[in-house]
Amino acid sequence: MTRPPSTPSFFSSSLRVFDLSLGQMLWSRRTVFMALVVGGPVLIAFLVRSLDLLGVHAMRVDGAPLSGPSIFGLMIWVFYLRFTVPVLALFYGTSLIADEVDDKTITYLFTRPIPRGAVMMGKYLAYLACTVMVVLPSVVLVYLLMVPRGGGNLASSFPSLLADLGLLAVGLAVYGALFAFVGARIKRPLVTGLIFLFGWEPSVLVFPGYLKRFTVAHYLQGLAPHAMPQDSTLGMLQSIFREVPPLSVSLIALALIWGLFLALAVRAVDRREYVLEQ
Amino acid sequence: MNRKTRYFMLGSFTVLIVGLCAGLVAYYGGLPAGLTAKQAGPAELAYVPPGAVVVAYADIHSVMTSELRRRLKDVMPAGEEKGQEELKTKTGIDLEKDIDHVVACMVPRETSATETENGDSGFVAFRGRFDEGRLEALAREHGAEVGEYKGKRLISIADREKEAEHEGHGIARTMVLAFVEPGLVMFGDRRAVTLAIDAQTSGQNVRSNAELMRHVKDIEGQANAWAVGRFDVLASRANLPEGMSSQIPAIRWFSAAGRVNGGLAGIVKAEARDEEAAKNLRDVANGFLALAKMQAGSRPEFQSAMQSLTLGGTGKTVELSFSVPVELLDAIKAARELKIAP
Repeated sequence: MTRPPSTPSFFSSSLRVFDLSLGQMLWSRRTVFMALVVGGPVLIAFLVRSLDLLGVHAMRVDGAPLSGPSIFGLMIWVFYLRFTVPVLALFYGTSLIADEVDDKTITYLFTRPIPRGAVMMGKYLAYLACTVMVVLPSVVLVYLLMVPRGGGNLASSFPSLLADLGLLAVGLAVYGALFAFVGARIKRPLVTGLIFLFGWEPSVLVFPGYLKRFTVAHYLQGLAPHAMPQDSTLGMLQSIFREVPPLSVSLIALALIWGLFLALAVRAVDRREYVLEQ
Repeated sequence: MNRKTRYFMLGSFTVLIVGLCAGLVAYYGGLPAGLTAKQAGPAELAYVPPGAVVVAYADIHSVMTSELRRRLKDVMPAGEEKGQEELKTKTGIDLEKDIDHVVACMVPRETSATETENGDSGFVAFRGRFDEGRLEALAREHGAEVGEYKGKRLISIADREKEAEHEGHGIARTMVLAFVEPGLVMFGDRRAVTLAIDAQTSGQNVRSNAELMRHVKDIEGQANAWAVGRFDVLASRANLPEGMSSQIPAIRWFSAAGRVNGGLAGIVKAEARDEEAAKNLRDVANGFLALAKMQAGSRPEFQSAMQSLTLGGTGKTVELSFSVPVELLDAIKAARELKIAP
């Protein structure tokens, strides 16, 4: 008598989905968007250094060049922390399940003998690998290009580079879990995500009070080794009313948000009946 | 995972590892500095003792010939030019032409010394063109004595007033003018000048103070004036009242640099004891900045200068950069003229 094949475990199922999804995700049309988003800062850093070498000193304040570490800190805040990380998480996170539903291919995944939640977990891991392997090298290239200019040196900025890399990876993981849940549970995930990112978070951070605790950005700011630049009135207001949570509180809060939303996303996929439009 | 994906992952991983290794090697001092950068600071740092707590530099020539100074002369009272003329007549030194740059430092008193025995010392080294004979003659006229220390000519000028004040204590501070090398004159108290000569001859100078040199390298950039120092050491020597000293933020190092050209652009940096102290300092500075910017709202002439104030910094460092446009001086001049006019 032959024994029926046993159902693979949640972990091995997730790895199979991860393996399948990584290539699809990396070579999708979204990758062009991702390349533009993470390539922009590298291109700017490359242009500034090229102009420096040609003797045209760009990025000066009243004749004096801005130091490399200052520009690097500014780029981490403006390009990566405030834009790249949340936007990539939004576009990739909300599409993890929504794309399969739109393409009507989710049935093929759900008919496999694997736990349904493992589909979400595998896709989430693929998203994380895909974005981390694109964003972090981009940051390293900006660091190598930008930091040595204007009296800066690689050595003194190395600890903040490590902190930045960790911070961005944490940001991608937490925002990714949040938007994976939004994509799995809510009908118009992209609109909801955009409202959260560009409506709720910036406005709540401007005002004093406890509402900022319901944002991810509040806790990510607590981990940032760079001071918030006050390049605009909004930025200045945010810095005045900013209550930076202690490092331990930020780490615990981010871990809780990550764990909670990832579990909710897995649960949502596990329990929800997806009705495909005919 | 197909081959294309594997190659991509490998490429991405390689960039990440190469960047991190470069940073790590640089962090542990593995990259030879000489390959990528010149030695930090001016050559006169060879005279600064390793225990100096404040080091400052100013490129006098570029400051004196700058557009900013020309405009400042229009704004400031006329007494400055008279003083320059007097100095030129007495010493033969034309401040605008004869001094290239100056380096100054402060050396704390020895920990074993008491207040009355040995105070903090310092010197200023002037690089330029000097008529040594004329300077020596002038000093002799004022009762100076000429001597030598390790082959360097020292002209000692005792502080008569203090000598009388502390008669019997043997603590009169003797100021010394030293011609340490052609085109380099040093002025300071005897202890500091002799320590400087020792530092230069032994090679044990401030360049061996890695922490201070890191700040010098970090701040000098394209600045034509800068200063670096240990804030905590200075604060502990200021004999502040208990209540006030406990309110001073936990700053270890401070540095400031300025670039004078058409206007003045500068940066002030503070390195706090830890990241928490730096964050607190940034928050306090943020509050003051916001207040100052609000106050400047009603004064359009100050607005461009106020808007240039930018707070930044990473980790334990807090940075405040600013720029004073030359138009601000024109506005001050116009305001003065308006006040003077009946």
